[in-house]
Amino acid sequence: MIAKTQELTRMYRLGASVIVAVNKVNLEVKEAAFVSIVGPSGSGKTTLLNLIGLNDRPTSGKVFFKSEDTSLLTDKERRKIRLQNIGFVFQTFNLLPTLTALENVELPLALAKVPPKLQREKAIQLLEAVGLSDRLQHRPKELSSGEMQRVAIARALANNPCLILADEPTGELDSETGYEITKLLLSLCRKHKTTVVVATHDERVAKASDVKYSIRDGMIT
Amino acid sequence: MRVTVMCLRNLLRRRFRTSLCIFGVSLATIFIVAVGATTTNYTVVIREMNIFFSGDVVVVAEGAMVIQAFPVAGGNLPVSVVEKVQQVNGVKTAVPMLVRFGYQFETVIQLAPTNVSVGIPPGNWSVLVGNTPLKPGGNWPSPDLGKKEVVVGSSLAKQYDLTVGSEVKMENTNLTVAGILDTRSALLSRSLILPLELAQRLYYGHTMWIGNMVVAQPEEGVTEKEVTDRIEAEILGVEALTTDERNEIVEPLLQDIETWSLGISSVLYLLGMVLVTTVAMINVSERRRDFATLDAIGAPRSSIFRIVVTETTLIGLLGGLAGILLGSIAAILIASFYTNIPLSMFFFDLFNIISPFFMIKILASTVAVSCVAGVIPAIAASRMNISEVLRSEY
Ligand SMILES: Nc1ncnc2c1ncn2[C@@H]1O[C@H](COP(=O)(O)OP(=O)(O)OP(=O)(O)O)[C@@H](O)[C@H]1O
Ligand SMILES: [Mg+2]
Repeated sequence: MIAKTQELTRMYRLGASVIVAVNKVNLEVKEAAFVSIVGPSGSGKTTLLNLIGLNDRPTSGKVFFKSEDTSLLTDKERRKIRLQNIGFVFQTFNLLPTLTALENVELPLALAKVPPKLQREKAIQLLEAVGLSDRLQHRPKELSSGEMQRVAIARALANNPCLILADEPTGELDSETGYEITKLLLSLCRKHKTTVVVATHDERVAKASDVKYSIRDGMIT
Repeated sequence: MRVTVMCLRNLLRRRFRTSLCIFGVSLATIFIVAVGATTTNYTVVIREMNIFFSGDVVVVAEGAMVIQAFPVAGGNLPVSVVEKVQQVNGVKTAVPMLVRFGYQFETVIQLAPTNVSVGIPPGNWSVLVGNTPLKPGGNWPSPDLGKKEVVVGSSLAKQYDLTVGSEVKMENTNLTVAGILDTRSALLSRSLILPLELAQRLYYGHTMWIGNMVVAQPEEGVTEKEVTDRIEAEILGVEALTTDERNEIVEPLLQDIETWSLGISSVLYLLGMVLVTTVAMINVSERRRDFATLDAIGAPRSSIFRIVVTETTLIGLLGGLAGILLGSIAAILIASFYTNIPLSMFFFDLFNIISPFFMIKILASTVAVSCVAGVIPAIAASRMNISEVLRSEY
């Protein structure tokens, strides 16, 4: 088991009203599984992924990461888990604009204090794997959306994480490119036996997944 | 990733803003350097003047304005005063002097004294110059007034290209340079030393006034204070000052100057800091998504912190370097303007006007200030979280 949530709840207070974005969610993500979370806009997918990815703290309930209770961890320890065990793929790519494709992929490796020579080797290898060996020195603005998302996938895989969290990774892409990206993500994760959790609207993605959770109004249905 | 390279690229990406900020920092530094260098030189010269006649009593006309050892304005003393001082109990020697500040070679109006002429009875030169030597080939002025000889300081000699045998014009009289003082003292290197009687004839046209000061050396075992009290009690119309009293006159003034200089520098540093913080804050809030992404992928807070602080420090470094360069030029221009010494001469003397230590100190302060200026923006950057930032983009 990679991740597990227990009565996971996240509320937002907006003035007098309270929004329950994630409501008592219990789910389990198994090793090397491909999990999809589908639900309409505003149903709480992003909130849930941020909680599982240790980017946010729940209002109540717990997130277990590899059977460790993460509510007991310090901010520093949570960062360390994010850096070394979790990879993020965002809908809006979130590459650093001043870094080249290669440097963007090197970044998590550098933060994990991998020696520079290994960083380079690893980053080149990953960019080759996502089919961008001829785009190493391109800045994000010199890449197409599909290419940017490939770089982001390479970056997410840099430190060999055991879990990849992708929040609508194909949301900004046309359906053809989106499908390509999904297949790429899937094949890479199958190859490395990496667990993937994808939040998506895309039925094709959901169909390809091993486990599908539907979420509505913050609750798994 | 080499953080510095990354930060440089971030700064280059906002070229206009970065240049403006660097310009602002360098402007502050220019003023810090110029003000600092000018006041430092000023106070050094004045402090140095106090080395003169240390241990001796300086007698001047009542009401004369004395800066350190020298009367810069005020009355002349009649011939009889020397005799009277000499006769005061406990006085070993009494040497009269005629000191004039601001003598001009040319008809250029100057704002500050650029040189000083001192008339001294021949043979008593060491009362003023101590054991400062003459450059080889020179001699002290002959007591023979017909020869009209003068000794000039090294800086004057360099400026006007004077050598032994050259002529200088003083009060419409041509004098011959007999020797050149080999000294780095600011006052002596700008001085003209000549026999007292020659000076009297040049300035007064007669010898009834001996000049404007008498240096009285106390006998062994007699204190300056005792001599001072006796002189003031026995001789009318004069003021006698001990070394300490002379110090007390200017010390508060010097301290004021230094306090003002420090105050101005502090305000300028503060302004620079506010500017850098503001710009860094804007830079950070423009890159909320970047910092939140770094946070999400697990970058330690210290790394995020370092990125912002490195950026502000780079601004400070570049601004500081530019400011020191331009500030040094400004200081030289100011010095040259006030002393009328040609610019070309000053450039050789750059490190004398602005010591390398002073430059390093200012660069270090500028860098330190801009580093501190990055702290608040850096804290803001290290607090960005993906779950809040991506939402608030809208
Ligand atoms: N910071 C916040 N402050 C207030 N309300 C929030 C905040 N974040 C999320 N919400 C609310 O929580 C609910 C779930 O939001 P979330 O972003 O998780 O939905 P989503 O399923 O990811 O939607 P989408 O498919 O549009 O991305 C929404 O109703 C949203 O308004
Ligand atoms: Mg969402």
